[in-house]
Amino acid sequence: MDAVLDALVGSAPAQWLRFSRWGYAAVNTTHVFGIALLVGAILPLDLRLLGLWRSVALEPLARVLVPVAATGLLLAMTAGAFLFITRAPEYAAIDLFLVKLALIATGALHALSLHLGPGLRNASRARLRVAGATSLSIWVGVLVCGRLLAFVAD
Amino acid sequence: MDRSDLYAAALGAALLLPSAALAHHGWSWTTGENIELTGTITATSLGNPHGELTMDVDGTLWTIEVGQPWRNSRAGLADGDLAEGVVLTVSGEPSADPDEKLLKAERLWIYQVEYELYPGRD
Repeated sequence: MDAVLDALVGSAPAQWLRFSRWGYAAVNTTHVFGIALLVGAILPLDLRLLGLWRSVALEPLARVLVPVAATGLLLAMTAGAFLFITRAPEYAAIDLFLVKLALIATGALHALSLHLGPGLRNASRARLRVAGATSLSIWVGVLVCGRLLAFVAD
Repeated sequence: MDRSDLYAAALGAALLLPSAALAHHGWSWTTGENIELTGTITATSLGNPHGELTMDVDGTLWTIEVGQPWRNSRAGLADGDLAEGVVLTVSGEPSADPDEKLLKAERLWIYQVEYELYPGRD
């Protein structure tokens, strides 16, 4: 594992990004942009599943918000991977970072199990409520963990 | 207060971040007073998002926070200036926790040449 982390941090893209002013700023901005899309889209959808805005039909709302959230997640993960490799051994040693990764995996699997399983259209109302609460806590949790990384690590 | 106010309040509470002591970010975690240290660099971890040196000061290992690449190069530091074995004098603010041998550098000197990371700050 250590060898893999060292190889990542020693790779050409990692070394370039680590010492590039605007390259790092661009990747960092892309990461934040992805998070903004993800959280900004998933939060209203989750609140709708929890029972807010019942007069708004779920299906057209989901048709807009699900792909926006998924795109945001992909952007954030791609940019995040590049940020990670600039300091791979350091990040991997932070428990909060591992918690964040586990939450992301859980959140993604949870969303897939709903969409590939019953889907928003066929899931029971109870299932949708639980899904909304679960998704909301996971993604807000990911955001909080991510931001706190800057405040707990040496 | 209607239901959407309640949701907004709950969300606000969930997102409030603790104001813990924070290395790297700002100066709230430092003493506010400058000290000067002279020692030999024993390890470096430079680059984004934060640069750090380990410095041996009379047998005690201090962690010295220096700048990101742009701040170091704006100060006039070239690649290789901050390297293992270099003797350095640093002026900056130490952590408010005296057990934490950590100092955020404002300026430093290598062979009497001054490099200012935070111009105008003292």
